[in-house]
Amino acid sequence: MKDKTYEILEHTADIAVRIKAQDLKELFKNAGLAIFQISSRKQFAKNKSHIDLSIKLKADDLEQLFINWLNELLSLSATHNLVFYNIKINKLGGNNLEAIAIGNDMGNYKVYTEIKAATYHQLKIEETKEGWSAEVIFDV
Amino acid sequence: MSNIWSGPIEKIDDYRWRIPKTYKPGMRVPGIIYCNEKLLKDIRNDKAAEQVANVAFLPGIVNASLAMPDIHWGYGFPIGGVAATDPEEGGVISPGGVGFDINCGVRLLRTDLKYDDIKDKISDLVYALFNDIPSGVGSKGDIRVSVKEEKEILIKGARWAVEKGYGIEDDLDCTEENGAMQGADPLAVSERAYERGKAQSGTLGSGNHFLEIQVIDQLYNRDICDELNLDLGQVTIMIHSGSRGFGYQVCEDYTRSMVHCLNKYNINLPDRQLACAPVNSEEGKAYLGAMKCAANYAWANRQCLMYLTRKVFEKIFAMSWQKLGMFLIYDVAHNIAKIEKHLVDGKEKNLCVHRKGATRALPAGHPALPSRYKKIGQPVIIPGDMGRNSYLLVGQDKAAETFFSTCHGAGRLMSRSAAIRSINPDTLLKELESKGIIVKASGRGTIVEEAPQAYKDVNEVVNVVHNAGISKRVCRMRPLGVIKG
Repeated sequence: MKDKTYEILEHTADIAVRIKAQDLKELFKNAGLAIFQISSRKQFAKNKSHIDLSIKLKADDLEQLFINWLNELLSLSATHNLVFYNIKINKLGGNNLEAIAIGNDMGNYKVYTEIKAATYHQLKIEETKEGWSAEVIFDV
Repeated sequence: MSNIWSGPIEKIDDYRWRIPKTYKPGMRVPGIIYCNEKLLKDIRNDKAAEQVANVAFLPGIVNASLAMPDIHWGYGFPIGGVAATDPEEGGVISPGGVGFDINCGVRLLRTDLKYDDIKDKISDLVYALFNDIPSGVGSKGDIRVSVKEEKEILIKGARWAVEKGYGIEDDLDCTEENGAMQGADPLAVSERAYERGKAQSGTLGSGNHFLEIQVIDQLYNRDICDELNLDLGQVTIMIHSGSRGFGYQVCEDYTRSMVHCLNKYNINLPDRQLACAPVNSEEGKAYLGAMKCAANYAWANRQCLMYLTRKVFEKIFAMSWQKLGMFLIYDVAHNIAKIEKHLVDGKEKNLCVHRKGATRALPAGHPALPSRYKKIGQPVIIPGDMGRNSYLLVGQDKAAETFFSTCHGAGRLMSRSAAIRSINPDTLLKELESKGIIVKASGRGTIVEEAPQAYKDVNEVVNVVHNAGISKRVCRMRPLGVIKG
């Protein structure tokens, strides 16, 4: 079985998460998917249509790109009423990101927690022996 | 990550503790935490005190980075943090000092009902309220608004709801800022925020938001209770909600843009989540204009929630809400930034006061109070957890030292994941039921995350603000019925 790509860390009020990946592209993908895996679970299949949303972002540095990416997903999820269950990172480099987020109607999911946003507080993105890891705190 | 904080802290008196300015190079002022020895132990268990020190880095910060006794670890600012900056001294405004849920706040309604009048109807009321008030993650309400109307809400706040027939003029008089901050700028709000806020008016939301039927179980100040027409055994209703997705998006948009301001204005901070811009800069003004829109949206929302609550009571008791005496005592914001007049070294100054999980508490006679509260001071509403108590307080003169601010609630003690690991929802519901408390929530997870043991004891928190003299106890309520998002 594949190792879990994220683990929840202790935080008094919010949700702190450590995400692991083999490379940076996968780190962005796993972090994005972690949001929806933590906050919801598929329950129904009322609406089978899937929506692909194309996301292009540019930032000053990696941390900014990471936080903007996670917040973009949260915002698009809320405005399109979608839960993203798959992500394709097409391009990542020079603080630019191009990705496709694939979502399914939120009505098909039981949503437990409202994650409001990803924050910079104690944000850590680092290259490790195994690949890449990130620690991020979400406001809930 | 180890979360224990072992930084320096000095006792000023029984209720105030100082983090010296020398703790970290770059702190412009010391940190002051309002708490007692017992609460201090809990405070040291996470990174909240470090965040108090980080806030002291903000350019233009006046006197101290303050924290109330319900302080706990947030992101950027601690929850329970208060910071005033002086725009004339390069003072900044920080979206992280307000938070994502802009104008998260609470309102308290009185009723003429006594416990005996409702004791057999609590279950009916809870189910009817749960049914008629949309709650839960991303909930959408029946109160639908057009784009044009949404812009009107952002300017008019609670007045929009009153004009629609969802309340009366007196409700506005009993709401902080009369339910609308002046200077809201809808043009400073992104399309995304409009989109995210659409259809969420009149909804409670999720997480720690709630609607509670309570009974007054302790009076502390008979004269003020008489003034407010409150007595032992009387039923009250408390509503806790905010600006929903609209506010989150405003905060996210401006945190994103203000991260760039750190370089532009040469601001050095230990945490990017404190991203800020001078109050008088183009970016600072734009954020304030957008933040006011979100604040007004939240006041309109709580006004709509109160309207729906009054309707449910009318249905159950077959009597008008006026006959039931369901009048608003007050509505306070506890996540907000405001330009307010304060005395600094004897000189009146316009300061930008951030209250992130803190409540404004004006003393008797303050010019910003409505005439009905000039004599007693501003009512301050402190929600506790769903198993213990909530409080009504009033502001005090001594709160000048906290820029007229006090605590906002109990403050979390236990992480959500620890609560889920250690608390069984069925046992918890039975325990609450044995205390005469009926709870209905959208998700079982919410009930556990919000369990009483996950919070500090609000009684302890209120003791500190009362004994420190920054607000005064008026009466205490205990919950009877709770609707959680």
